[in-house]
Amino acid sequence: MLNLKTIRKIINLGPLIFLYYLSLSEIDSHFENYFEILSFNIQLIIIYFWVSKRPEALGGGHVFFAGLINDVVIGFPLGISSLSYLVVSLVATYVKNMTVNTRITTDWFTFFIAIFFSNLILFILLSRFSEITVSVTEISYNTFFTLIFFPFFWFLFTYYNSIVTTGRNV
Amino acid sequence: MSSSRDDFSIAFRSALLQRGAAQKFSLVFLIIIASIIFFLDIYGFGFMKPIRSIINDGIYRVSLVASSPSRFIPQATGSVTNLFNIKSENEELKKELEVYRQKELSVEYLTNQNKNLRKILESDENLFKEHYVLSKVLIDKSSPYLKSIIINKGSKAGILKGMPVIDKEYLVGRIVEINYLSSRVLLLNDLNSRIPVTFGEDGVQAILKGSGGSRPVLEYLPEGYVVEEGLDVFTSGKDGIFFAGSPIGTTVEKGEVKLFSESSQLSFVKVDLSKQKKEAF
Repeated sequence: MLNLKTIRKIINLGPLIFLYYLSLSEIDSHFENYFEILSFNIQLIIIYFWVSKRPEALGGGHVFFAGLINDVVIGFPLGISSLSYLVVSLVATYVKNMTVNTRITTDWFTFFIAIFFSNLILFILLSRFSEITVSVTEISYNTFFTLIFFPFFWFLFTYYNSIVTTGRNV
Repeated sequence: MSSSRDDFSIAFRSALLQRGAAQKFSLVFLIIIASIIFFLDIYGFGFMKPIRSIINDGIYRVSLVASSPSRFIPQATGSVTNLFNIKSENEELKKELEVYRQKELSVEYLTNQNKNLRKILESDENLFKEHYVLSKVLIDKSSPYLKSIIINKGSKAGILKGMPVIDKEYLVGRIVEINYLSSRVLLLNDLNSRIPVTFGEDGVQAILKGSGGSRPVLEYLPEGYVVEEGLDVFTSGKDGIFFAGSPIGTTVEKGEVKLFSESSQLSFVKVDLSKQKKEAF
């Protein structure tokens, strides 16, 4: 029987499990059957949110390994997704260091900066160093829709975070 | 001015170098490690190939297990829907069966005729023998950037890079990465895919280029040529990798090709090993 402590521990590890599961499993956020250009990157949203709100839930090492796994599953050169994810982590950590109180609007704006640099690095490394051709349009659509869906996940994760942190500071 | 610049550099340095209570590595350390791994993989140093192959095989297997719940739900809902459709489908199938019975007679006639014609042509029977390896699709994670699938056969089964992959009779892609127990298939609609094709009564030659979307496009057509809709597209075999005459799809508007095989619905595919056998001799 799972006791309350174990359940709490699993809930605490939720973002980490979700990140690894998304990188490892077949589940994707590319809905080409419904709307050809609709694709977004949930991993970037998870990393940005949890690194900026509760960095102890998502360490840099895990972000790095999730990126490596994602590269193997997708078929990208090893390390490219890790770099892309770490750039998002870097911006999130910087924002966390610079700001005291954040609202969804400030998070949304800074998230745009994070995914812009993240996808820019992904595009430059892929087009400059690998034989894989990626379309700027596809990357732009992906960036756009990731940004559009950010508020939805922001509210979802904020609610989850409130469940996790309830009673912790009492 | 200078104090704001100082603030920026302090915060940036702190973001790069600091380690929280639960963090074992700083971000700058991880970024350097990721960059080293990237360049080692890109420039294909000898020792990286077996390492990558082992990592790939391991992660593909784990990914298959991790993806099983996501596969089960659509299968279960599909089964319920199928149950409701069975009766009406049965009626339609009975009608179709009658049509096929009549067609069977003409097929038999045509088969005999075909055999006789081959004898006349003194064609090499071995050329028509099938050398296929049946493989299960392990992962078909759809990425917005890369359209590929992972199959459960690799170099152990004799698969080589570049071999054509077929679903039923239709070409779906080619092998681009081989591991010992698995391989990656680049699908025809991937942006990096280029296949020489032929179509129409005049045998027009073109290159079928993946668009990144669901429909690849015909390129390098004769000057001023307008592609009609509804023409069947086949491999031309000019690249020496694919046999000529493998069906691919049908032309639709704007020179696009609607593929016969739906890439998101692949469960089992066949890898054509015949080119390897031919090269061996």
